[in-house]
Amino acid sequence: MNELHPLGKLLVSVLYIVLVASINKYDIVTLILMSVYLVFIFVIGDLSFRDGIYRMRLVLPLVIFVGIFNPFFDKTVLFYIGKIGITTGMLSMLTLVIKGVYTVLAAYSLIITTSIDDICYAFGCIKMPKIMILVIMLIYRYFGVMAEEAGRITTAYSLRAPSQKGIHYSAWGTLVGQWLLRSMDRAERVYESMLLRGFKGDFNTVKKKVKKTDIIFPVVWIVIFILIRWRVIL
Amino acid sequence: MKTGIHGELLKIENLSFTYEDGNNVLQDISLTARDGESIGIIGANGIGKSTLMKILVGLKLDYTGKLTVAGHEVNKKNLNHIREHVGFVFQDSDSQLFLSKVEDDVAFGPRNYGLSEDEVQRRVTEALEKVHATHIRDKHTYKLSGGEKKLSSIATILSMEPDIIIMDEPSIALDPRNRRNLIGILNELDVLKIITSHDLDFIMDTCKRTILLDEGRIIADGDTNTILRDKELLETHGLELPLSLNTR
Repeated sequence: MNELHPLGKLLVSVLYIVLVASINKYDIVTLILMSVYLVFIFVIGDLSFRDGIYRMRLVLPLVIFVGIFNPFFDKTVLFYIGKIGITTGMLSMLTLVIKGVYTVLAAYSLIITTSIDDICYAFGCIKMPKIMILVIMLIYRYFGVMAEEAGRITTAYSLRAPSQKGIHYSAWGTLVGQWLLRSMDRAERVYESMLLRGFKGDFNTVKKKVKKTDIIFPVVWIVIFILIRWRVIL
Repeated sequence: MKTGIHGELLKIENLSFTYEDGNNVLQDISLTARDGESIGIIGANGIGKSTLMKILVGLKLDYTGKLTVAGHEVNKKNLNHIREHVGFVFQDSDSQLFLSKVEDDVAFGPRNYGLSEDEVQRRVTEALEKVHATHIRDKHTYKLSGGEKKLSSIATILSMEPDIIIMDEPSIALDPRNRRNLIGILNELDVLKIITSHDLDFIMDTCKRTILLDEGRIIADGDTNTILRDKELLETHGLELPLSLNTR
């Protein structure tokens, strides 16, 4: 998976997300069929489902929160399981959660198998404006810088406040101020390092060669998506 | 990139620099440096070593005096030329390495100068070979050890084939083995090297010439062995004899 051309992976992932999001809210069968892509990617790419699910821990509650009111507003009973009536609201909530899981896992599988440089290269291939690609790359780099600084500050704090759980509210203001100032200093040094090596506002990447598999991969998956989404064969 | 200049690569005449808050950190600095020399710049904290280094690479342009690097006067117009010929290795390797893989980071400079991909790959290989780090070519930069980060940082500069290499505290945070390895690598490089450090033993092992700075001025400029053995001179200006010479 890592060796595939990033443009193919980007197009397939975006198309997958769009098609999953567009599936009818009661059409659970199509949604289940669409899981074939994720299963393929996770198996072929040797990715861990556990890690994928773990990384969704922040997004999943939000998805559930959005769908949790559906059963209260949409009460038409579709069928019964024993004595429990399954309503369209329940079904739409379930499809919403599944859609959330699928789209996050699709994005996760793209990110885990493609470096940010390659993703930006793919953006370049589809003629995204250079300035936007540059902003994405710099945001990515400076997120790393800020995360490292935050890690250092919290470690230094916790080592000197071993009995405290987390950071006391009275220290938040100072720590956040320090964090921003230190991150800005660090970001400036990174930028200086780029300037000193001839950076003129453009990341020069090597043009990637397109192999047969780079074409077969997106074509096959786009066909499969169309067949499943519009239930051509089922 | 090599200029082909053999002789005077760096010429500083009456250079002074004052920060916006009025701190006159460098005063009337004059010196010349020739191709192949290795120069150590020493001095206590806050005497302007890092500022001088930043001026040399054009990161601070509001200095007074005259500064010529690789045949070009350091000003906004010539920055591209100067940066092609001068490599700066930051004290903190994490600031130097910003791409995800070592290979990409080492190739960053040559690619920015529009070299062909074959040439870029040749330079990456050569730079990593020079620092004995070909084994980390495909490694992610965030997974490197401190020593590997330093070697990669130097390789990112060597791939640009500069005439002058400026290093800010290169031995900091290195274990003895990596430090010894770095000394060997620097001694093999035949370009003009300017190294700032508080590690006087490191300066002794890598530099033939030493410049002692204090209060923004050059106090001494000469043979490393002579300056670093002068206990009185060093102590007067906030330093001590190198540990290897300290007989206490």
